[in-house]
Amino acid sequence: MKRPKLLNSKNIAILVVLAIAIVLPLFLRTNQYVLFLATTVLLYAVLASAWNIIGGMAGQLDLGAAAYVGLGAFTTGTLLIRFNLTPWVGMFIGALLAMGIATLIGIPLFGFKVKEVWYALSSSALVEVFRAIFMMWNKVGGPTERYLPFSAEGPRSWYLMRFNTYVPYFYIMLALLVVVFIINHRIRYSKLGYSLLALGEDEDAVEVLGVDSRLCKLKALMIYSFVAGLVGGVYGCIYGYLHPSFFSTDMSLEVVILGIVGGMGVTYGPLLAAIFLVSFREYLRASLSGMFPGKGLEGLYLMVYALILIVVALFQPRGIAPLIKRGFLKLKSFVGVK
Amino acid sequence: MQVKGLHSGYGKVPILHDVSFHIDERETVAVIGPNGAGKSTLLKTIAGLVKLTSGELYFDGHNITGTSPDQLVRLGIALVPEGGRPFANMSVIDNLRMGAYSKREVLKTGVLDELFEIFPRLKERAKQMARTLSGGERQMLAIARGLVSRPKMIMLDEPSLGLAPNLVDEIYEKICALRNELGLTVLLIEQNTNYALELASRCYVLENGRIVMEGSSAEMSGSEHIKKHYLGL
Repeated sequence: MKRPKLLNSKNIAILVVLAIAIVLPLFLRTNQYVLFLATTVLLYAVLASAWNIIGGMAGQLDLGAAAYVGLGAFTTGTLLIRFNLTPWVGMFIGALLAMGIATLIGIPLFGFKVKEVWYALSSSALVEVFRAIFMMWNKVGGPTERYLPFSAEGPRSWYLMRFNTYVPYFYIMLALLVVVFIINHRIRYSKLGYSLLALGEDEDAVEVLGVDSRLCKLKALMIYSFVAGLVGGVYGCIYGYLHPSFFSTDMSLEVVILGIVGGMGVTYGPLLAAIFLVSFREYLRASLSGMFPGKGLEGLYLMVYALILIVVALFQPRGIAPLIKRGFLKLKSFVGVK
Repeated sequence: MQVKGLHSGYGKVPILHDVSFHIDERETVAVIGPNGAGKSTLLKTIAGLVKLTSGELYFDGHNITGTSPDQLVRLGIALVPEGGRPFANMSVIDNLRMGAYSKREVLKTGVLDELFEIFPRLKERAKQMARTLSGGERQMLAIARGLVSRPKMIMLDEPSLGLAPNLVDEIYEKICALRNELGLTVLLIEQNTNYALELASRCYVLENGRIVMEGSSAEMSGSEHIKKHYLGL
């Protein structure tokens, strides 16, 4: 099973995008809103790329992203508040915890062959269960926000992973995205990747060949929940507080939407979808929300957003990645590169 | 291959009752029977996909009762599931490579080239997605995928299912050629009794989860019960 080289023409295009992303904050320095938006885009791109492993490749409609993000955030934040442990270490402990919980839940779920809508429902329930637990668990959660310590400048600021600008968060997310991208690429052309793709299509047929589909799905879930836990650690620091509302079904849904709209199983699909959809949604929110003040139309942007999703579902059911690919190939033949 | 007193089913629903039979090395045996008799369950139980409730399985002198599917592939048992079920969104060559999942080393033995020689059509279409194949080509792909791991015994679950009569002829010719060339033991499950009796040397009849008849194919073709219920004569 051959893995294409990491530096083919497609990935060079990705590198160009990456280079643009790296210098972007230099131009946006004064505008914190746009930087926050860019960081959010990257955050969702990381989550959706990780989801691509379990959802896109293995075809398991996992709606539990926010559960792992929340666990990561609470672990990292609580370790910082209670034990003054830096989030740079805490986020990995949070990620391990999220992965552990995912494994505990994955073993019976996959063991009893819970799949399709039932898997989606079970994983989505996980988010709500954790929200309820953290709402009642007054020692680490509870209904009031718990603020993380803050220091505006100097090494203390780095130790706390708390900054008065979004630039460092932007680069942290960018670094995470690159790592998740490489993981995705490596898995896609590995034995695990082929089995995930195959079991996403026909689980019985793949078992006939001697593939342990439960183990493969569990591995995919573990990688995905670990990444989501890492993101969660940073997420808490970006917002500067901990609250049970981090366990948000909306966030899980958003991740799945990006994964599907981007193109199931396509490595760069979720990133494209995140760039387009998240920034587009924010643009709609900014431009439409204030358009009809006092008319109760604050949710108008969501209607337009939903409309766009329906259009994509109707005309590009395989996601926007194939569309971009065609455009890219045309561009390549136009420029004359082979 | 020997099956002794096999009981099996899904959860609390028993399907197979005290099924016993044997297949000698390089022999082709067919199991025929009506819809819902438990034919597919029988194959799935042997392949380790359905847990048996009691009974014993022997293969090549080993007791393989309760062995996991990937171990069975390593021991040399391959199953071609009903309808072939290739992975539609994977290329033909990747489908074949999936066949080597539990036995990766076989890919170095040139098995793909050998299979391409037997199935030239698959070679032409190696890079195409499996969903673009015709029904007959899909069945051939599924059989080839089963053979990638160089099994000693191949179990075929209704290879004629959903195919036009001329394609069924073609598939059976291929199976026959493969068996002779590779020295395979074949366990065939089929509703199309004519083809099954032609290919197999011996035959078992499975009805309501029990083996009700057995004998050589010639004896079977002569039996009144078979003639009346299976051959429609």
